[in-house]
Amino acid sequence: MTQPALVVEDLSLAIGPAQVVDGVGFSVAPGEVLALVGESGCGKSLTAQAVMRLLPAAIRQVSGRVRLGAEEISALPERRMRELRGRRLSMIFQEPQAALDPLATVGTQVAEALRLSVAQARPQVRKMLEDVGISDPDRRIDQYPFELSGGMCQRVMIATALISGPAVLLADEPTTALDVTIQAQILDLLRRLATERQTAVVLITHDMGVVADIADRVAVMYAGRIAETGPTEAIFAAPRHPYTALLLASIPRLSDVPKSKLAVIEGRVPTPAEFGPGCRFAGRCPLADAHCAEATPPLRSVGDGRLSACFHAERVR
Amino acid sequence: MSAVLEITDLAVHFPGRGGAPIRAVDGVSFHIAPGETLGLVGESGCGKSTVSNTVVGLLAPTRGSVRVLGTELAGANRRTLRAVRARVQMVFQDPVTSLNPRMTVGAAVGEPLLVRGVARGAALRDRVAALLEEVGLRPDHAGRYPHQFSGGQRQRIVIARALALRPALLVCDEPVSALDVSVRAQILNLLVELQARLGMSSLFVSHDLAVVRHVCDRVAVMYLGCLAELAPREALYAAPRHPYTRALLAAVPEPDPAVQRAKPRVPLSGEIPSPAAPPAGCRFHTRCPMAVDICRQKVPEWRKVGESMVACHLAE
Repeated sequence: MTQPALVVEDLSLAIGPAQVVDGVGFSVAPGEVLALVGESGCGKSLTAQAVMRLLPAAIRQVSGRVRLGAEEISALPERRMRELRGRRLSMIFQEPQAALDPLATVGTQVAEALRLSVAQARPQVRKMLEDVGISDPDRRIDQYPFELSGGMCQRVMIATALISGPAVLLADEPTTALDVTIQAQILDLLRRLATERQTAVVLITHDMGVVADIADRVAVMYAGRIAETGPTEAIFAAPRHPYTALLLASIPRLSDVPKSKLAVIEGRVPTPAEFGPGCRFAGRCPLADAHCAEATPPLRSVGDGRLSACFHAERVR
Repeated sequence: MSAVLEITDLAVHFPGRGGAPIRAVDGVSFHIAPGETLGLVGESGCGKSTVSNTVVGLLAPTRGSVRVLGTELAGANRRTLRAVRARVQMVFQDPVTSLNPRMTVGAAVGEPLLVRGVARGAALRDRVAALLEEVGLRPDHAGRYPHQFSGGQRQRIVIARALALRPALLVCDEPVSALDVSVRAQILNLLVELQARLGMSSLFVSHDLAVVRHVCDRVAVMYLGCLAELAPREALYAAPRHPYTRALLAAVPEPDPAVQRAKPRVPLSGEIPSPAAPPAGCRFHTRCPMAVDICRQKVPEWRKVGESMVACHLAE
């Protein structure tokens, strides 16, 4: 087996006393797309920010190791981290217009990722813009972000993130702000680039449709923990965590009976102040018993390369 | 029975920078029958929210007619508008900004009844309690403030307020788009149940084709200010007639890897043109995979093909 491009182990993050990310671990192989999926507040974006070491000041890292290829990077000094970011470890964000510098041309921003000027890197930048599907790159290279649509700006951000040939790309809700027809284009692009360039992609999303479209493997997060992880097909075909099962059943699909009752997850996600000693989903779970409220279920193997953090994984349907 | 809402050749233009008006809505016609839910779908900038804002009287039509229960809104005086607005209520996308943070839930839900002089005092309190129960909240929630509720509960409060005057038409503009997936199902179930129980008509605006299919009886697809297609739900989803409808349906990522990965891709090239300078001929021709000469020259007629109304030269 090839060495994973990125390994995260036992990552825990806290705001004050509340552990908002708790013991999260995963690995991604070169050319693989791993989806971190969950609802708002589940800790998926914080996990990515911790990998980049771009956490907000209020968040404290309690534990966790991050390995980039063979190198442990969690203890690197900030100076070394800055050399990695944008070169071997890149990130793209939800709002492409907000993430780009409004005062710099497309070419300047893409070339900057190589620490070069447009004049120095024009042919490379042009080629990269072409690779991400920007039509008329010779004209676009000298334009400013406001002259481009949202989908076009997202392509520019992807070009900026990938031009240095990073081993890992963290993509935080990269298509959430885009229309469906544009989203389809960008997802196809990410899938193709991951395969062609053997970039490991961590795709952060709340949308199970996006996951089904391009992820090889999935990690479902709930309230700061991984509920379940495994190959995409296996998880969608037969979830092994009650949260995943209910989440999938609650989504209206083009194939279900119109106006039929959708499955509902009763109650709401607990706030960090409400986290108890047991499974964080116990309060909303139809399978929960007394044990679930008292002990934290460990992530354990449930076959087919899958892990589930549920005492009752075998009873989920 | 006559229509609850009847829109004929509606156009809403805004002054644009540099002369040319922005044709946000440019010749849209449809009606909604009593008890019916019509879905209005399209991508950002297609004009769907402009249509819904015009229906509730927040925007004035530039051209055309908007009739609610037979009363014309275009050019209506304030008294007429005020009377009509009692029969048409709206639920917006973001429940956080739809509620006044300084007003208790009870005051917010009861305000329409108070303002219209329908109920006051103890009768008002009873009415508010019943409305809260109707949307799945508890009567004792009336004394609390919006910040004490989750996003899903706040959307329930907004819905309770919209139902207070027992509207004939409920306009919902992306009512579940700001909600998390697990909460979305709760609100969709509530809306479907209320439609059935109260028998009101509804205009449901959304960009999400799966959600629209779940709650609507008929569906209208909008592109760049015009309707591309309007059809009964089954016809639209099983046999879309307009190439844009087909592309939209193909672009919806289905939460099922087996289905999603087997789906034929219908990639739409290019971007949505500016509504200040819409393309000549069919507005969709610049992105249409099927476009031929006539599409670039002639505006397609709005015509019936099978069960569907469609604006495409090549619909057969």
